[in-house]
Amino acid sequence: MVEDLRLIELVGVSKEFDGCEAVSNMNLYIRKKEFVTLLGPSGCGKTTTLRMIGGFETPTRGQILFGGQDITNVPPYRRRVNTVFQKYALFPHLNVFDNVAFGLTIAKVPKADIRRRVEAMLEMVGLKGFEKRGIDALSGGQQQRVAIARALVNEPEVLLLDEPLGALDQRLRKDMQLELKKMQQRLGITFLYVTHDQEEALTMSDTIVIMKGGHIQQIGKPKAIYDEPANAFVADFIGESNILDGVMERDCLVRFAGHEFTCVDGGFGANAPVDVVVRPEDVLLGEVGEGMLRGTVRSVLFKGVHWRMMVQTGDTLWKVDSTQMLPEGSAVGVSIVPDGIHIMHKMEEAAKE
Amino acid sequence: MKRSSFAFPYGLWMLMFTVVPIFLIFYYAFTFMGEFTLENFQMFLEPEFLGILGHSLYLAALCTALCLLVGYPAALFLAGRDFKRSHIIVVLFVIPMWMNFLLRTYAWMTLLEDTGIINRFLEWIGIGRKKLMYTESAVLMGMVYNFLPFMVFPVYSVLAKSDYRLIEAANDLGANGAVTFWRVTLPLSVPGIVSGVTMVFMPAVTTFVIPRLLGGGTFMMFGDLIENQFLTVGDWNFGSALSLIMMALILVSIGILNRFDPDGQAEGSGVL
Repeated sequence: MVEDLRLIELVGVSKEFDGCEAVSNMNLYIRKKEFVTLLGPSGCGKTTTLRMIGGFETPTRGQILFGGQDITNVPPYRRRVNTVFQKYALFPHLNVFDNVAFGLTIAKVPKADIRRRVEAMLEMVGLKGFEKRGIDALSGGQQQRVAIARALVNEPEVLLLDEPLGALDQRLRKDMQLELKKMQQRLGITFLYVTHDQEEALTMSDTIVIMKGGHIQQIGKPKAIYDEPANAFVADFIGESNILDGVMERDCLVRFAGHEFTCVDGGFGANAPVDVVVRPEDVLLGEVGEGMLRGTVRSVLFKGVHWRMMVQTGDTLWKVDSTQMLPEGSAVGVSIVPDGIHIMHKMEEAAKE
Repeated sequence: MKRSSFAFPYGLWMLMFTVVPIFLIFYYAFTFMGEFTLENFQMFLEPEFLGILGHSLYLAALCTALCLLVGYPAALFLAGRDFKRSHIIVVLFVIPMWMNFLLRTYAWMTLLEDTGIINRFLEWIGIGRKKLMYTESAVLMGMVYNFLPFMVFPVYSVLAKSDYRLIEAANDLGANGAVTFWRVTLPLSVPGIVSGVTMVFMPAVTTFVIPRLLGGGTFMMFGDLIENQFLTVGDWNFGSALSLIMMALILVSIGILNRFDPDGQAEGSGVL
């Protein structure tokens, strides 16, 4: 279980590269045993944030605290964190055993202990019997496991993972996601995970930090972020969404797509322009005459569990997900329940705040 | 026209100037006045000649070790992240090599002479003249100076290509700068070292101009011995036998060195 102790804290951290700000005034804390994911598109500053915590980059401004102590200028080899690197960075001149034993050897742990701990770790990641193999003789998935074992064997307080599954195929990714999550829970280690894959973040994390352009967009539990995205960017990045321009006529009444809808949000002021986000599964199709809008099915795609239909109402093209398939060209009635309508400040205004 | 026929001129060149001469050397080495004999090789077993070989190997080994000692840190510095893109510094290392080899060695003579710049400086600061020219140290100095780039570039090219993420990984696992160097950087640069050692040791062991100019003929190296047989003594048979012995030694040392670099990763010669 996540403990209520702030293990790592970033206080007003910024990082500039050649005058260009990669991370901007970031405030964030990570609790003990928490699985935190930094999620965002490439160039959003998530890897830079991770590298600053690992000690590979020094913040231009701000402080990084570890267990309350300032570690902003502590070199990586004196930090009680270990990293699983994006492309593993395994030592090509050492075999599997020596790669995993690297950290313990440097810490001058007795030989017998090293052997015991490395072997236990290799067994945990499913590489028992691979001790003498060279790194080049391993598959991508196996190298990944060696990289994880090499970091975890040192029993770090925090494990930093920089897109560790990026190079694996879809199937292996899914398996490793579950395995990593299990390992994290069993060992009780804090994980800070970087990815651009929203599904991965939703599956594994206790807390997701969504970043864009060096700024945090939203911090929250996966479900909270999915259900209540803070702005249109988050809504679009997490899951798929219909994002429409709307006008808030008054509290709980919004106009978009040429119709007035009852919603559950308020406090935007009268006639305020807003972004309206509707998840594809919240758009309900029925007989013509039912619902608020009248539309036509433009295309149908089979997606496995559901169908993805594109439905046109007036000028608006809706993404609709449903387990009921309606054939292309059929006329439908479109309705959206108030709970399915998420109202957000316009993006430009959100950025100013 | 088949692609392979483009290689014909080169094949002809090789045949005329490499294959045929090697056959001639073999012929001369195993004959005397047209008769087959092993006498040319037996002659080499005399202590005088063995001594010359031993001394040549010793000097070449010393020269290689000094080149490694001076060249490795230089290569490490050149390949450092800050200098990777700074070609100017690399060019500064290359420029002396554009100068003629003999010219460079003559330049050392004017430095080391009894009335040379170094001695005048020593006199000026009150230490007094030293005998620098025509000593073994002078020869060694000349060899290190001339062969140093052959050590720097192979090592540099391996280090420059090395993955900085491995350094970060070592740091992450608790290794400070020195530990990272001994456990990661150095082992990974072994192919470059092997290539550099080969490229310095070979020319060092066969050199004959440097010992003659800077050593003044006070002692002989193996290269001088071979040269003497052909140009002064006129014993082509003994000279050929010596050349074959040299060749065998070089092949054996390449064989030993290659065992340290099984993948043949080093491509140092490409830089030159």
